[in-house]
Amino acid sequence: MKKIVLAGAFVGLGLLVACQPAAQKAEAPKAEKKAEKKKLSSKEKFKIALANQDKWQKACSNPTQLVPEGIDIETFKKEMLATVKFPEGGVVGKNIARGEKLFGDPKKGGKSRRGNCYACHCGDPKIIACGNIGPSLRGYGKRGIDPKETYIRIYNSWAQNPCSVMPRLGYHGVLKPEEIADIVAYMHDPNSPLNK
Amino acid sequence: MRKRVLLTSAVLAGGAFLTAAVAQEQLPTHLKELLELGMHPGHAYVDEGREMFHTPGPNGKSCATCHGQDGAGVNGRLNLQGAYAKMPRYYKDIDRVADIDTRILACMTKYMGYDKKDKKFMKQFKKWSGPYRVPLASYVASLSNGMKIDVKLDDPQEKELYKMGEKLWYMRVGARDFSCGICHTVLAGKRIRLQGLPDPVKNKVYAHWPAYRFGSDRMWTMEDRVRSCFKAYLLYTKQWSKKDWVKKPPPFSDWVIALELYMKHAANGAIIEVPGLLR
Ligand code: HEC
Ligand code: HEC
Repeated sequence: MKKIVLAGAFVGLGLLVACQPAAQKAEAPKAEKKAEKKKLSSKEKFKIALANQDKWQKACSNPTQLVPEGIDIETFKKEMLATVKFPEGGVVGKNIARGEKLFGDPKKGGKSRRGNCYACHCGDPKIIACGNIGPSLRGYGKRGIDPKETYIRIYNSWAQNPCSVMPRLGYHGVLKPEEIADIVAYMHDPNSPLNK
Repeated sequence: MRKRVLLTSAVLAGGAFLTAAVAQEQLPTHLKELLELGMHPGHAYVDEGREMFHTPGPNGKSCATCHGQDGAGVNGRLNLQGAYAKMPRYYKDIDRVADIDTRILACMTKYMGYDKKDKKFMKQFKKWSGPYRVPLASYVASLSNGMKIDVKLDDPQEKELYKMGEKLWYMRVGARDFSCGICHTVLAGKRIRLQGLPDPVKNKVYAHWPAYRFGSDRMWTMEDRVRSCFKAYLLYTKQWSKKDWVKKPPPFSDWVIALELYMKHAANGAIIEVPGLLR
């Protein structure tokens, strides 16, 4: 807990320091750090965080929650698709085991809350602790879906379904392109427990 | 206090046999049985709060000095029976809309000699396990048991905060693109992993808050609940990219009170029955 808070504080500091004029930057960095730390109250931090809402989130913040307002759907999708970065090695990764872990098998240390697909989807029939928010992904690899589509869905689900409740995991940097590619590999692999 | 903890662990051990695949209900059988036996672990907090209510502060005044023995008022004034049913609301003496946590803090610092700048006191006050906020909120709320929630939006500050609450409810932010409304309006009734998602607005859940939660073995005020949902679900402590993801809004801040006002107004008409008991 403490570590995370500290790390957060340092990232914040880094940004702040970067914005300082050069002259100020040169003097006693320690004292400055202390002063900066004091300056940003939790209230201000929260305000900044809310202000970081992006324009697409804003368009999805109406009471329907699932239909954008103020941007037409085709433009919305196009803009979201433009944010998708593809990994150098292609959309199907090589490390299937890592893909499985990130997909979130709780028995395999997949409790990292980064992928956490099981929070919303069922998949491997052995995993019964799965949510019913998204469709079941059992047999997903047998549906003839282009792996590129799968990659885009995970990277930025809003490129296919604006305002979906599925988080834009790649867009926000929660998962790296290579990690998403490994998840795709896991999902399309005929030997994956999803597809057996 | 000790009794409370022992009792809880005994029941928890019993409850551990819940079948994994079944969505966890708000009030499982083992808790219902406890209630039937008249063993509600939350009542320890209410008792603690009653004691604190009659304990003098640094300037010699206690809550009871102004609000009367057991909150019954002094010469018919400042009666606290039914007060919680109208909160959050605007208070002239502090010129802001306050929820129960904020109101208690205001009374202690304005009228009882406690000092807001005293870091030790504030730490104790904010603390979940501290002697002030949670016990006093539980006790004062319990003085409105059996009454109907009746939040009005008469004052301009109340109206403004209500609007802010509604906006925040639907505001999609952070690394998960969530909002309160995504989980509690759109997905209400669904399961996130095994956790059933309640609909605090439609189901008027405010009637059972403050609530004792078995999972964490302590009493939560609505401040605690709202701030925890922010921290746990909306945004994350971890900084995945340069953006400063939202953590919890600070305690007693307008953001928290706005969401409380939004939810409690939706709960108007519901009969208060606190402390609640949740899994
Ligand atoms: C908070 C909920 C949530 C999380 C977390 C989540 N999803 Fe989804 N997912 C959904 C929903 C809802 C849909 C339905 C379509 C839509 O709304 O975009 C969906 C659709 C999908 C689809 C398309 C399924 C089909 O039948 O076409 C795939 C593939 C998918 N998700 C994969 C994943 C993977 C892989 C992860 C984790 C890395 C993940 N999802 C995490 C909610 C979620
Ligand atoms: C990703 C999911 C998620 C998000 C987003 C979320 N919550 Fe929750 N909320 C939960 C879960 C899970 C519970 C616990 C249900 C239980 O204990 O059975 C809960 C419980 C609650 C409760 C208590 C309900 C009851 O039955 O008494 C309230 C009130 C609440 N949340 C308000 C909020 C508010 C306000 C926000 C936005 C700031 C929010 N939630 C955001 C998942 C979420």
